[in-house]
Amino acid sequence: MAFSAPDFQSKEPRELTLLSIISQSFFQPLSVEDNLLVILTALTSGSGVGFNRAMLFRTEGDKLTGEAWLGPTSAEEAKTIWEVLSTPGIGYIEIIEHNRWLMTKRSDSLSRSVKPLSYSLSQDNLTIPATSAARKEMLLVRNARQEPLVDPKFLEILNVEEFLCVPLFAQEKTMGLIILDNAFSRQPIVPKDIKLASLCALMAGNYMYAAWLHKQMIEMERLAALGEMAVFITHQLRNPLTAIGGFTDQLLNGRIEEAKKRRNLEIIQKEISRLEDVVTKLARFLEVDVRKTVPFDLKAEVLDVIQDPDLRQKSAGIEILTEFDEPLPKVLGDPTYVGEAFRNLIANALEATDQGGRITVSGRREDQNWIVVTVRDTGKGMPPAVKNKIFMPFFSTKDKGMGLGLLFVKRVMEAGGGRVEVDSDVGRGTSFRLFFRAGDEGRTDT
Amino acid sequence: MKRILIVEDEEALCLLYKEELAQEGYEVSTAADAEAALALLKGESFDLIITDIRMPGRDGLELITEIMGLRKDIPIIINTAYQSYKQDFMTWAADAYVVKSSSLVELKAKIRDLLNR
Repeated sequence: MAFSAPDFQSKEPRELTLLSIISQSFFQPLSVEDNLLVILTALTSGSGVGFNRAMLFRTEGDKLTGEAWLGPTSAEEAKTIWEVLSTPGIGYIEIIEHNRWLMTKRSDSLSRSVKPLSYSLSQDNLTIPATSAARKEMLLVRNARQEPLVDPKFLEILNVEEFLCVPLFAQEKTMGLIILDNAFSRQPIVPKDIKLASLCALMAGNYMYAAWLHKQMIEMERLAALGEMAVFITHQLRNPLTAIGGFTDQLLNGRIEEAKKRRNLEIIQKEISRLEDVVTKLARFLEVDVRKTVPFDLKAEVLDVIQDPDLRQKSAGIEILTEFDEPLPKVLGDPTYVGEAFRNLIANALEATDQGGRITVSGRREDQNWIVVTVRDTGKGMPPAVKNKIFMPFFSTKDKGMGLGLLFVKRVMEAGGGRVEVDSDVGRGTSFRLFFRAGDEGRTDT
Repeated sequence: MKRILIVEDEEALCLLYKEELAQEGYEVSTAADAEAALALLKGESFDLIITDIRMPGRDGLELITEIMGLRKDIPIIINTAYQSYKQDFMTWAADAYVVKSSSLVELKAKIRDLLNR
């Protein structure tokens, strides 16, 4: 874990230390599970809140299900762990790593025993602990065995008289529940512990809510991409199929003059090759497989593309300039795919640019690690609404466009560890900046 | 003879519709986009319009809006590759919505209905 080890022994109030640790971890590129582990660790580490054990439930829909349980399995083990963990030099990071092992790797880990616990939050006669999650209220149970509202199955697993239920929620949405106890130290749960626990829960609830929102957003983006794909497939396939079917019908019905038969067959043939073209392009895109990145001469590759007779033909009346650093170091990538990516970009630039316009391809070393190639045109440019969608699959503004060209460029660049950026002004032109990793010894971040 | 205007950017489909509808006894004109259609509508009168939606330039829905603005009381059939445009409020302004199909049975039936109304 990359963040600096926090100092639990500091003189700051414990609340502040806890808050700072938990919030620091939220800014790390950690998984949701890692962040929840940080919270459970903060709740159980002796230098944190100091509970003996913390059990986590998460909600999905209206179901509350046991997910993880952090803590030792016996009083002896608790003693050993406390001794180890209070050794000078053992920091928070070691504690978290130890806890990860404790919670997931160990064959007799507590977590296994809570997985079967599951409650439906919408049912009427809820038992503890589900009540706490459903009502979004903390519950302190002191004499569990005398409490008829406690679920017996839950109590059998927990096996303590006193425990604290802390609901995790944000924006009225229940995200989960934490159960805390002092099974081994038998220390009573005091108001100060409850206050600290609620602070952790507040952060955990909001964090889980943010993670949930993020997941929803990704799902929506995925659906939007699917929508684009549906539109694409419909358009590219239904039109030729309608023509093929219609002209075939004419042939079969025999109501067609002899002279037109050949014409119909030619139309059918043309529409079929159109369908074939769609399938070929789609397959080519889906089969992009950049596995081998090698250092190669980018300038030579770009010049090759520009000399291409097909492009030359399209570029009549449009000037193509090149400006490269001399010498331009080699870059990392797959030369074949990179060449094709440039072909896409230059073809697009040519289509967007009127006669008399200019396309400039320039390459220079940005810093030790990056070589940047810019393809700039003086064409019609894109409004923001279009610019924001150009890397979406099947999005195209061209009548016959597949909407895969720029996504291809992005995929090729990212596969080689680089990236692509775009700037565009309506009426002034568009420029694509391709960032390649330098393939020479000048690099510093190998 | 009833006159029909077809607005469709696919060349092959224009030809197919033109021949098939002529066979049914209609006089058919075609336009490859909304601009061409509006130009034709200014000079000639039609009994029915069949329009695609997704076309280069202004789309079929914009064309329908324009035609309504001209206060032309002409029945309009939307003929598109997409089911999904049915969710667009503007398609309600048309008199019928036919998804493109290699069988022209539905399209021909809708034309007959609207012209005999």
